[in-house]
Amino acid sequence: MSKTIESLAQEIQNKKGESIIKEAIAKAKASKEYNFFVTIDENASNDIKTNNLLSGIPFATKDNLSTKGILSTASSNTLKDYVPFFDATVITKLKELGAVNIGKTTMDELGMGGTGTTAATGVVKNPWDKTRITGGSSAGSAGCVASGIVPFALGSDTGDSIRKPAAYCGVVGYKPTYGLVSRYGLFAFASSLDHVGTLTRNVKDAAIVVDAIKGKDDKDMTSLDSSDINLVASLTEKLDNKKLCYIKEICNIEEYANPSEDLKYCLNNFKEVLKKCEQIGIEVEEVSVDKSLLAAIFPTYRIISCAEATSNYSNLTGIIFGPRGQGKTVEDIMMDHRSKGFCSLIKRRFIIGSYILQKENQEKYFKKAQKVRRLIVDKINDLFTKYDGLILPCSGSCAPKIVKIKDQKQDDILENHLAIGNFGGFPSISIPCGFLHNLPIGVNITGKVLDDANVLNIAYNLEKTMNYKNQIAKEQK
Amino acid sequence: MELNKKQVDNLANKLLIGLTDEENKMVLEEFAEIQQSIDLINEIENIDNVEPMTHPYDLYTATLREDEPEESVSLKEIMQNVKQSDGREIKVPKTV
Repeated sequence: MSKTIESLAQEIQNKKGESIIKEAIAKAKASKEYNFFVTIDENASNDIKTNNLLSGIPFATKDNLSTKGILSTASSNTLKDYVPFFDATVITKLKELGAVNIGKTTMDELGMGGTGTTAATGVVKNPWDKTRITGGSSAGSAGCVASGIVPFALGSDTGDSIRKPAAYCGVVGYKPTYGLVSRYGLFAFASSLDHVGTLTRNVKDAAIVVDAIKGKDDKDMTSLDSSDINLVASLTEKLDNKKLCYIKEICNIEEYANPSEDLKYCLNNFKEVLKKCEQIGIEVEEVSVDKSLLAAIFPTYRIISCAEATSNYSNLTGIIFGPRGQGKTVEDIMMDHRSKGFCSLIKRRFIIGSYILQKENQEKYFKKAQKVRRLIVDKINDLFTKYDGLILPCSGSCAPKIVKIKDQKQDDILENHLAIGNFGGFPSISIPCGFLHNLPIGVNITGKVLDDANVLNIAYNLEKTMNYKNQIAKEQK
Repeated sequence: MELNKKQVDNLANKLLIGLTDEENKMVLEEFAEIQQSIDLINEIENIDNVEPMTHPYDLYTATLREDEPEESVSLKEIMQNVKQSDGREIKVPKTV
């Protein structure tokens, strides 16, 4: 299963289709200690056969996407017995093409975490080193693709939830333009920031899958007509006149008071990546962005996401779905369900969201964050009038140790800039670009809205200059 | 503004979430750090006239479908996740 979608499709044409699905299911079952899956569909089979490349290809789906007749818990105890009666549009599209969903992947509870450690079913372990996190929230999706269980998995991305775990697991994480892919059937977390996207082991596979799942959907009023975008056909073997920029305040080591050795390594690695860009004809320039604006990225994300989540997840009551709570009144029943169902982290985030949404705080926090969001997006759009995209390191380290998660600083600009892609709905892709302590690190390219083809083509050509395409995780000793 | 235990419980009650004393304490501890982080937003100047951004871009246009009946999911399927029901009704304790 270490092959590309095209080579697997070739095998399927040669009548080896059923064994590919069986092999994926067997590998998923054998990966139990990593906790990639909430549910494995042992009966999954390729009943629908089409001429599409994805016919007979196994894939995995993040557990916050609705799958008809298959448990969909979003890794939360509040949904531990929820079985949707409909498929998310992305699932319908993939099924119609003959792709086979073999299971639902573990995630941070309700998507509200970036570590892969808050699922109701436990911590997701990094396939390169099981003492480390995968990152999240699309933790299991990143892990199972990196392990070679499936060639692609679906994820969702509200702050960096596809792109960060992709970097930590050494795979490609692609969040398309907001609205390019329908969100019908995705459990809404923060609706103005939520995206559906892919985790793959190479850029072309991401293009193949998103070509298949994108499109205007009457069931999602925020979806866009993208019939003029053909991602695979836009991949070219040579680049002409492309210009990227990087932000000095994030990428220059002089900007950091006490840089760690890991940070120095990551920023040096980034410089090497920039050289590779230049080798393939991409012009790269340094730009400066007001540091106070960059420092506001994380609090802006925190305020908007917590506020929207508090509202969206008010539907988790245990009355019409989810385990019924105990109590003498409806309020008691809902209180019991929510108190027992949510983990402590989720409760805290909801309380922050509720605090922000109180009438007396809305102007001071919520509206202000929305204004800062516009300033950040305007600044980036201004850069996109001169450049084809923004290139930045995904992180200042490799995947942290599971035991050290609580020590992570949350306000670091370098660790939070990927949310820019969510603020502006920009297409954004992370690809592997090196190793630190034998663990993968990644680089991210973000471009202007609906310029997905250009962003992917740059990533596709940059990927060719490095040796990390189609890599499979090898557990470190 | 500083939060106290009572205010945290009040916010939790509005959300229909019960907190243990330990969880309440965690909220209070975390709030100071959050307040500091949120204050970074207050350092951005001259934003009074900026329009709050509620959607990632401005090219969005809402369209309405034709008002024609469409096939919908059967009641039986919709009710299959309800733990206590009676026919097409969802059972809850008496409210009035």
